Amino acid sequence: MKNTLGLTFFPAFDWYLSPGHPERQERLLYTRDQLEEEGLFDCEEIKEYRPRLAEIHDLQRVHVGVPSIARLITPAHLTSAGGCLVAADAVMQKEVKRSFALVRPPGHHAMRVVHGIRGFCTINIETIMVEYLRTKYGINKVAVVDTDVHHGDGSQDVFYHDPNTLYISFHQDGRTLYPGTGFPDEAGSPGAWGTTINLPLLPTTGDEGLHRLFDGLIAPMLEDFQPDIIINSAGQDNHFSDPLANMQITAQGYARLADKLKADIAVLEGGYSVESALPYVNTGIILAMAGLDYSRVVEPDLSELRPQDVRCNQRVDELIKQSGEIYFNRAKMQKAMMDKCNGVWTRKKHIYYDEEGIREEQIETIRYCSCGGYFTLKTAAEGTRFGDQSAFIVCLPRQACKKCRDKAHDEALKEKKTQKWMYVLIQDIATGEIETV
Amino acid sequence: MLLGIDVGGTFTDAVIIADGKVFAQAKTATVHENVLQGILRALDMVLQGNDSQITRVVISSTIVTNALTEHQLDPVFLAVIAGPGMNVKNKFPVQPYEVSGYVDHRGKVTAQIDWSKHTDLLNTKGKGAAAVSGKFAVRDPKLELELAKCLRKNGYDPVFCASELNGELNFIRRTNSAYFAAATYKLFNEFAKDILQALTQRKINAPVYILKADGGTLPLNEAMRQPVEAVFTGPAASVLGIEALVAPVLPAISLDVGGTTTDIAFWENGHPLMAKHGAVIDGFPTAVRTFHMRSIGIGGDSQVIKQSDGTYRVGPQRIGKAVAVGGKEVTLSDALITCGLVHFGDEQAACEAVGKFGEARVEAEKIVGNAVQQIMGTIDSMLAEWAKQPVYTVEDVIKGTEFKPEVLVGVGGGAPGLIKALGEKMRLPVDIPTGGMVANAIGAALSRPTLSAALRADTTDGYYIIPESGRKEKLPSNFGRKKAEQVLKEYLQQKTAEWNLPDQDVELVAYEFFNTIHGYYDSGEIFNLRMQLKPGILHKLTVVDKELNIDGQEQTL
Ligand SMILES: [Zn+2]
Ligand SMILES: [Zn+2]
Repeated sequence: MKNTLGLTFFPAFDWYLSPGHPERQERLLYTRDQLEEEGLFDCEEIKEYRPRLAEIHDLQRVHVGVPSIARLITPAHLTSAGGCLVAADAVMQKEVKRSFALVRPPGHHAMRVVHGIRGFCTINIETIMVEYLRTKYGINKVAVVDTDVHHGDGSQDVFYHDPNTLYISFHQDGRTLYPGTGFPDEAGSPGAWGTTINLPLLPTTGDEGLHRLFDGLIAPMLEDFQPDIIINSAGQDNHFSDPLANMQITAQGYARLADKLKADIAVLEGGYSVESALPYVNTGIILAMAGLDYSRVVEPDLSELRPQDVRCNQRVDELIKQSGEIYFNRAKMQKAMMDKCNGVWTRKKHIYYDEEGIREEQIETIRYCSCGGYFTLKTAAEGTRFGDQSAFIVCLPRQACKKCRDKAHDEALKEKKTQKWMYVLIQDIATGEIETV
Repeated sequence: MLLGIDVGGTFTDAVIIADGKVFAQAKTATVHENVLQGILRALDMVLQGNDSQITRVVISSTIVTNALTEHQLDPVFLAVIAGPGMNVKNKFPVQPYEVSGYVDHRGKVTAQIDWSKHTDLLNTKGKGAAAVSGKFAVRDPKLELELAKCLRKNGYDPVFCASELNGELNFIRRTNSAYFAAATYKLFNEFAKDILQALTQRKINAPVYILKADGGTLPLNEAMRQPVEAVFTGPAASVLGIEALVAPVLPAISLDVGGTTTDIAFWENGHPLMAKHGAVIDGFPTAVRTFHMRSIGIGGDSQVIKQSDGTYRVGPQRIGKAVAVGGKEVTLSDALITCGLVHFGDEQAACEAVGKFGEARVEAEKIVGNAVQQIMGTIDSMLAEWAKQPVYTVEDVIKGTEFKPEVLVGVGGGAPGLIKALGEKMRLPVDIPTGGMVANAIGAALSRPTLSAALRADTTDGYYIIPESGRKEKLPSNFGRKKAEQVLKEYLQQKTAEWNLPDQDVELVAYEFFNTIHGYYDSGEIFNLRMQLKPGILHKLTVVDKELNIDGQEQTL
């Protein structure tokens, strides 16, 4: 097949979170102008696609909304998720070699359970696409490389128990930036330990440090994992001009990364330097993914670009060593942790929804089985647009056996009888059906 | 009285329209090597003493199209200010001379031209035509104009500025348009002079217009400044002809079936749909606006070939007249006659000719079936292309932009039979208006001037620009949508007056508004709008009672 890129461009010129918000109508305006002026849509290497509306069950393969996902979203969300599905179809049906869903609203801060908007996200569009790829095309092993400056805590949450998804996120150190998570020791639950790889970089890390990390660790891990498909959560807020973060990546740095990563599908995430970065970063990524010359894509104004701090490369080298050990020794660690946890693993989470001021408490429990098991989520949230709400949720993974399914149903019925929960829900991940008990 | 002339691949037609009726019409063979000669013959045939009352002349000619497809182009010096971005090598018909400097997407000059890098340009005398184009020159034409000035000083003449020819984004398309304009300038100008002289000799002093690819007319002297707009006018004339004859109000697909080709267009609310992108000329995308239409190599005179597996292939070759009218080989028309879909000429001869392939009726149906299938394939890909138009708002995603045809409209000599067969297959009613034989010339005669321009205002920077005017102006106080529309409307009205065009309604065709935040403190507003003179035809035809064959034999219906 020719080296072609399918481009699903959806700038959502009529969607915004609030006036003046970084997620406002203007965000992709200058990118649109640049792409049109460059004439990129006329390149024979680039094929343009339009988004479609995703279906509710596409969303529910990932999310359990409280009270329901349908009541939490707007048509804009169905469109950006649908844009990802169109991008996936184009690649899987071999119409193009790669795809880029240059769409908004973004999604990587949205977790499995949704009570509202956090980190500008309501639904997690990449993870929805991954589960769609599995259901529709039987894809098994997936690698997601999250190049947004913020830790993709939502994607991490969705993939945390899934050993078939290698989720790699590099980002500005959580001690200095929202959402404050994403440290190397957050590496997955026992059955999936080492398939979540967090690489927190020091502020001011630039192209040099980033490519040092890619060549030294990310590339070897991808080589080893042998995924069926590589997905790039292509956030662009590592750019030196981004107003929300403090990194020093350039358009060339991003384009070279896209060139090396050779993602099958890229999905836009953040990136809020709407005038000085996005037009150039997107042009660079598109050219690189289409196999075209991107060497001329340089921001006209490089005056804000600073050299990276001397400690940045040291941090990179530490991560290569530390996270490399986590990843490459994961089989041994998984066994040890499983032996230790005795069939049940539990964690507590406090989740804050910055956009709406919602506080959520969660207890997540996995019950292991030779099939992989199932997990439950006890959630209570204060201050949602529906008031305070609580739910007991059972999640049935694709490969859950009959025994686990029966056990999960019994557990749901038992919880229902306690009358402690406003909602008792059972999620079937393979079909996207959510049953209210 | 309105005079319309259409030069087609096979025939040159002329019509005179008066009081909403076809007053006189003529049809003659096109002289490919000398387009003008054919025009003059058609003109003399149709005039016959009506000369002094002609109030307007519109010409749709193949002169520019032929020059482009046959590569009879003048050499052009192409200089571009591409700045950072995509590599523009091989994006234009000739390798460009690249000039330093850059204007960004907000219209800010981020780098001036560094003339010390271009001493070779400054020190070499130029000659002939040149085209200049700068990225985002539609946001600020300063560098492009500076470059043009330099080239003019150095001896290039004329020098075409891309952003003046087209005010929309797409640097590559604008550049190619400017290149093709420069490359066809001389040829077109000679043609224009010959036309004017010929009309003067025939005592016609009415204003002369050239038909454009978007179905609008351009005063001849303006067309000299942008000759590339006169490319692909044949299909445009055909569409206008249909508008004059029927103007389908329901969503419709029109098919103009000629001897060699069939032109297919889409209709909504009585107007043909415009393509979202400009025409592609010789493989290069341009900014020349056209209708959303396709030509397919199937017509009444199309060759019919029986293939080894017993199936047929119709077209794309044309082999001459049908057997029914004295031809030697079977054409699509003969098959249509055999099927009883159309009646003309020696029907028995047609049946016998088709009968050589096997049982005449059975074989004829297969032949027509192949033609119908090919046309449906083209229609399907046009529908798919239309459905794939990008959508940038949630509202448009929900609304959808699908086109659902409800009726087929057929014009042209080959239309009646073929459209009936197509309608049966597509389960759509068909409409075959009379008068379709010189539809193109009628379309040309009745077409209206089109003129469009864009306005962009950016309140943060405090300017507005109408790229087609090449001017960037300070924003007047209390600027808003109303004021933006007023300014652009006034510009179009001023142009209308300059070009001596009749008064016409101005309509808004695109509008975008954004609140902007720049840095932490500045907030502003961006307006992007485009307005145009309402396109279309002057009026519909009221009566069509005669059809015409070659060389003016009239045939009463
Ligand atoms: Zn981000
Ligand atoms: Zn099990």
